[in-house]
Amino acid sequence: MLIKRTHQRSDRRGTVAESLAGQGGGLDRRSFLRKSGLAGGALAALGTMPVGSVRKAEAAAAGPLTAGATIKKSICTHCAVGCTVTAEVLNGVWIGQEPSWDSPINRGSHCAKGAAVRELVHSDRRLRYPMKLVNGQWTRVSWDTAVNEIGDKLLQIREKSGSDSVYWLGSAKMTNEGAYLFRKFGAFWGTNNTDHQARICHSTTVTGVANTWGYGAMTNSINDMRNSKTMLFIGSNAAEAHPVSMQHLLESKELNKANFIVFDPRLTRTAAHATEYVRIRPGTDIPVLYGMMWHILKNGWEDKEFIASRVYGFDDLRKEVEKWNPQEVERVTGVPGEQLERVAKMFATVKPATIIWCMGQTQHTVGTANVRASCIALLMTGNIGRSGGGANILRGHDNVQGATDVGLDIVTLPFYYGLAEGAWKHWSRVWEVDYDYLVSRFDEKKQMETPGIPLTRWFDAALLPKADVAQKDNVKAVFVQGHASNSITRIPESLKGLKALDLLVIADPHPTTWASLSVEAGRKDGVYILPVATQFECTGSRVASNRSMQWGEQIVKPIFESKDDLEIIYLMAKKFGFADKMFKNIKVENNLPVAEDVLREINRGSWSTGYCGQSPERIKAHMKNQNKFDLVTMRAPKDDPEVGGDYYGLPWPCWGSPEVKHPGSPLLYNNNLHVMDGGGAFRPRFGIEREEKLADGTTRKVSLLADKSFSKGSDIEDGYPEFTLASLKKLGWDSELTEAEMATIKRVNAANPDAVSWALDLSGGIQRVALKHGCVPFGNGKARMNAFGLPDPIPVHREPIYTPRVDLVEKYPTLPDAKQFRLPNIGFSVQKAAVEKGIAKQFPLILSSGRLVEYEGGGEETRTNPWLAELQQDMFIEISVADAADRGIKDGGWVWVSGAENNSRARMKALVTERVGKGVAWMPFHFGGWLGGADLRKNYPAGTDPIVLGESANTITSYGYDPATGMQEPKVTLCQIVAA
Amino acid sequence: MASFGRFVRLAFGAWALLLLVMAAPAPLGAQQVNPTASSVKEQQLLQELNRIQGRVSIPDQRSGMLEQPQGREWREFRNVTLRWIGGIAILGMLAVLVIFYLSRGMVKLESGRSGRTIVRFNAFERFVHWMTATCFIILAISGLNITFGRPLLLPLIGFEAFSEWSQWAKYAHNYLSFPFTLGVVLIFLMWIAGNIPNKVDIEWAKRGGGLFGHDHPPANRFNGGQKMIYWIVVIGGGLVAATGYALMFPFYGTGIEGMQMAQIVHSIVAVLFVAAMMAHIYIGTIGMEGAFEAMGSGEVDVNWAREHHSLWLAQKTGEQGSSPSQSGHAAAPAE
Amino acid sequence: MARMKFLCDADRCIECNACVTACKNEHEVPWGINRRRVVTINDGKPGERSISMACMHCTDAPCAAVCPVNCFYTTADAVVLHSKDLCIGCGYCFYACPFGAPQYPKVGNFGSRGKMDKCTYCAGGPEADGSKEEYEKYGANRLAEGKLPLCAEMCSTKSLLAGDGEIIAQIYKERVTKRGYGSGAWGWKTAYRESIES
Repeated sequence: MLIKRTHQRSDRRGTVAESLAGQGGGLDRRSFLRKSGLAGGALAALGTMPVGSVRKAEAAAAGPLTAGATIKKSICTHCAVGCTVTAEVLNGVWIGQEPSWDSPINRGSHCAKGAAVRELVHSDRRLRYPMKLVNGQWTRVSWDTAVNEIGDKLLQIREKSGSDSVYWLGSAKMTNEGAYLFRKFGAFWGTNNTDHQARICHSTTVTGVANTWGYGAMTNSINDMRNSKTMLFIGSNAAEAHPVSMQHLLESKELNKANFIVFDPRLTRTAAHATEYVRIRPGTDIPVLYGMMWHILKNGWEDKEFIASRVYGFDDLRKEVEKWNPQEVERVTGVPGEQLERVAKMFATVKPATIIWCMGQTQHTVGTANVRASCIALLMTGNIGRSGGGANILRGHDNVQGATDVGLDIVTLPFYYGLAEGAWKHWSRVWEVDYDYLVSRFDEKKQMETPGIPLTRWFDAALLPKADVAQKDNVKAVFVQGHASNSITRIPESLKGLKALDLLVIADPHPTTWASLSVEAGRKDGVYILPVATQFECTGSRVASNRSMQWGEQIVKPIFESKDDLEIIYLMAKKFGFADKMFKNIKVENNLPVAEDVLREINRGSWSTGYCGQSPERIKAHMKNQNKFDLVTMRAPKDDPEVGGDYYGLPWPCWGSPEVKHPGSPLLYNNNLHVMDGGGAFRPRFGIEREEKLADGTTRKVSLLADKSFSKGSDIEDGYPEFTLASLKKLGWDSELTEAEMATIKRVNAANPDAVSWALDLSGGIQRVALKHGCVPFGNGKARMNAFGLPDPIPVHREPIYTPRVDLVEKYPTLPDAKQFRLPNIGFSVQKAAVEKGIAKQFPLILSSGRLVEYEGGGEETRTNPWLAELQQDMFIEISVADAADRGIKDGGWVWVSGAENNSRARMKALVTERVGKGVAWMPFHFGGWLGGADLRKNYPAGTDPIVLGESANTITSYGYDPATGMQEPKVTLCQIVAA
Repeated sequence: MASFGRFVRLAFGAWALLLLVMAAPAPLGAQQVNPTASSVKEQQLLQELNRIQGRVSIPDQRSGMLEQPQGREWREFRNVTLRWIGGIAILGMLAVLVIFYLSRGMVKLESGRSGRTIVRFNAFERFVHWMTATCFIILAISGLNITFGRPLLLPLIGFEAFSEWSQWAKYAHNYLSFPFTLGVVLIFLMWIAGNIPNKVDIEWAKRGGGLFGHDHPPANRFNGGQKMIYWIVVIGGGLVAATGYALMFPFYGTGIEGMQMAQIVHSIVAVLFVAAMMAHIYIGTIGMEGAFEAMGSGEVDVNWAREHHSLWLAQKTGEQGSSPSQSGHAAAPAE
Repeated sequence: MARMKFLCDADRCIECNACVTACKNEHEVPWGINRRRVVTINDGKPGERSISMACMHCTDAPCAAVCPVNCFYTTADAVVLHSKDLCIGCGYCFYACPFGAPQYPKVGNFGSRGKMDKCTYCAGGPEADGSKEEYEKYGANRLAEGKLPLCAEMCSTKSLLAGDGEIIAQIYKERVTKRGYGSGAWGWKTAYRESIES
């Protein structure tokens, strides 16, 4: 009686089992699971789908539930690996998630977050309607009221304090279209104070890497690491931050017997799978890398041919490396020379070798220099521009690469055109709006061409004396759409900033710590909350870490009263009266701009970065044909009618117009391939030659173009500068331009058409002709070991602002105080004062921070998800066994952590572990909703408080900004811990 | 089997090698840290500790117990050992009682009824006794059901009915544990004074409690046998209560191995307890004339008291107690 | 007939907990019930390994053997399931289970155990396949649709394998051969009385 199995069912099951068994032993896991998945699909087609959950039950009034369910594909919003999410939708309800077998990136897999995204949409703790703070109470308002009141107030602030006094903080979670419109909106509003998460995650990568070889992005792909023989992780905990990437990395480790080397202050979950673990002192990446290079140079393991033909500034670098002998490296980093020599040998000789990094390198006052040192190590060993090598920079949010590319940034217009007049004119042509109109929107033309304020310092811009802020007035209002406040360091200072603002607008699916902290700061009014849809309720494209663009379908319509990012941007533009101009070439349906039209506009203007070939049609075809792409090369067979020869997601640069059918560039700077097969070269972005001063006082000119190295099949078999109409003429290739293309070029610069370059030519003709000749449109230059123009052209070790090694500060001080990004950076003074005051004695432990696999970013949405929240219910700090014993701290006991600034303190649980070394403590950065031991749950609008609250790591973090990008310093500060 | 042997040798060899590697002293840092090569091995952990415990991030730390193969031993105990112990204890006691009854019959009042009675247990004492006894009987039946129901009762009444009954039995078992425990505590306090073993008990025990023949060894309010029952109730009851609550409130101050141990103690004590109580019930009812009245009406016949509790009667009435040598005709088995 | 098993390749498990949330998602498992969990051994030390663990659907399952009301049954695919209608929440299966799989919702007074809940191998329960009743009591029945348990299907690193025992053992053995060392097929000896370590 208990044995249910009906005959029919057993037979059916048997069929599946037999079909599986019939595959024999040669079946790999992927095809095995895939086949079973397909079998499932086939059975589903027979109408044997199950009845479902309560929610499923709600979705279908009667009858078999999933019968008739549709499958929608979107992209997981929790990191930049780019996992496809496959959703089953019935009657507008998202009833289930299925593995996305076809995606070459995740092959069905997810991490804890990806496997739980369905709950984000259905969460009953989401914001339901707009609210404003009235006498300290959250009060419901209508969308119309909210938009009107916010708009009026902003216009009033603009009138009084200028357009730069409003800070527009966007998000890496927006689609390309959302982020692009947000930046465009900033331009129409008249400010460069438009920023997003990349500032605090990989701004230093973007700056450091782009200054080395042209573009600030991951050069290879996660899939390509399947070709690696040596993987060097410095500042990446992929197992927790990018779990699905580990599928490829661990298989590489297994199949290639690859060296899996992890440098980290913590023995992370990634390090647990390493073949060699190197424990370093936080903040000493440069000395460690130089220590490796010292061995490489000493033993002659460098790639001399590569350096000679493709690298600039090697001799300058050698001088710096020579300072880092094993004794000095061990003194500074704690890593013994013997181990470093072993690792250096593996890295330089067991090739291809790749360096994988993440925020462990970037989130430092020396972040830009850190990533530069990593690039230099790759250049020295010839590990860049080749399969299995490269700088595999794992980005943090689903679209942080895209949002950066589309220019949601303070230093540039979309696609790295910069802020110079030429850049503004380019975009005014793309937008078909008068350049003069754009100028008129700014406080003054100078501000238009000056980088804005980094988000890390919005509160400094609100609090510092007006004279110290290089714009008309302080920041008076913050409009934040999709960014956590607890991700930003120095929370005690930001609390004062929240109090000082005239207006705060929080647009997000969740109230976030902006809401709870603004109430805590004492605000009674002047705060609005707007409910935004999650990306699963929106349509649009996103760019994964490997530069592949993927199209996300709308899974369900926005829940409650929440609105799509694009709609909110449109409503605000309409309120300010520039919607017609801003959306001139974009169709708007019921206040919602059409994502495809936005992407087409992006295509028309993004020649510099190669988003020009990624039409919505091509990207959608890729999503439809995911199963056609190879796991390792990510390329579809050439004969496929829809996506033939393309690389998955057309990883940028995807040159030319969509009609050129460029397949995308899976590996940057790879000159082993024809440019039409995704090949490339280093970008000569910093001139074609440089005058160097010699020791005897004379000068010489050194070429910055590649020397006898070129991409496969190039008609020019040497280095060459970027293409312009003039250079085409010189080569005699200008005749290949069509009349229409020529006409467009003349329209771009009527006065001097010869000056029109590959990046400004709106016709794409110059690119097309260059490609035809096998040439890279941007030229063929050398990568720079010496990145002249940066604060430290050759990376220099500098001790963190708050360092326990005060003995090293004199020799390795941070850079002098200076004015950067409209604000003073007084890091040097702070460091000096800390040494003088003996802060390191008072706060003897290094405090670092990082990710947990269950949560993301500021964590509000993941801490609201019960499936995730259950797994991490308490904020904690990792402390070494020795340090805990000294302090009488027990595992799981409560402790007070106090920081070096603002008398900051936070209460949390201790996790006593050998994971961290003596003298180092570590916190996850996702918690929020507590402050100084107090629970702020009451500050959230009723029913929207996340399930799990806790102290924010950034309550304790302290001063420190990278001079090149304004990156904050959450990875090294000092603290003291006592049992509570 | 050969491959298993090879496996054992291999595993042992690997373990020995690992121990060597771990024991080898090396200067900190210079040593290569290869986390993959030093990864923990399941069989090694099982050999060392017979269980594998790790860390989980959820607050439910008990779920950090990854593997505990000793559940297998517990299963053996529950399904085999306990059934043998229980079967022998209960059926054995039943057999003994039946044989005893058949051979000895009811112990009669040798001197007949005097017509005069004396109060042996007041109303409160009787209430406590019967509360505890009722609870005990239900607890015993519902408890035995857990051990013996599946082979004995389930085939007779089917899955649904058996589950339904067992569910109620479980509720009864859980809820009645509280009055039962209270009863045990009260019994302990109420009758402790009369139940401290003393010299009289030795004499009483030497004479076999008067179970055989027509001997009536002198006794105070409680004779040796009754004292045995008292201590069985107090100690056994205490044990089943303590272990029972450990099982009822899982993981409060105990782990999985603690609960397995608790279940073992609980069940063994319980079946022995049941066996002992069967004897108690026997002698209190059909085993001895006049005994039931002590807990029935609370008053016993003076002759009964004289025969079985001569010292107590003497104390109660001021009557001179018959010396052991004088009274050669009274028998006083345990109630 | 397939003999369904789980195999967690410890060399691949990174404690990402995808299996845990996939399970929660697929079956709407409530807070506090952990049908699957990831346990980390030697946490923070070199040699740290994590294992994803749920009901292993043992051969000669101890839970079934000790159940006082005999509410367990084994399907044709060797999946060990139970009837919540028959379960009385006594907790015996928890004492016998080598893997800590049985979970009990805290219901009623003194937090006593409700009906036991555990991993169903995404195979539902005694009710009709795919019925609403089955979903509400046990969750989805993927096996009936020809799909494997979602935890394994969504495993980030393909560490957790589910499927016919012979096939997943084959996949695992191939991995062991390729990488040159095994990771132990944790729980196999205890659950299936067999070892596939080469």
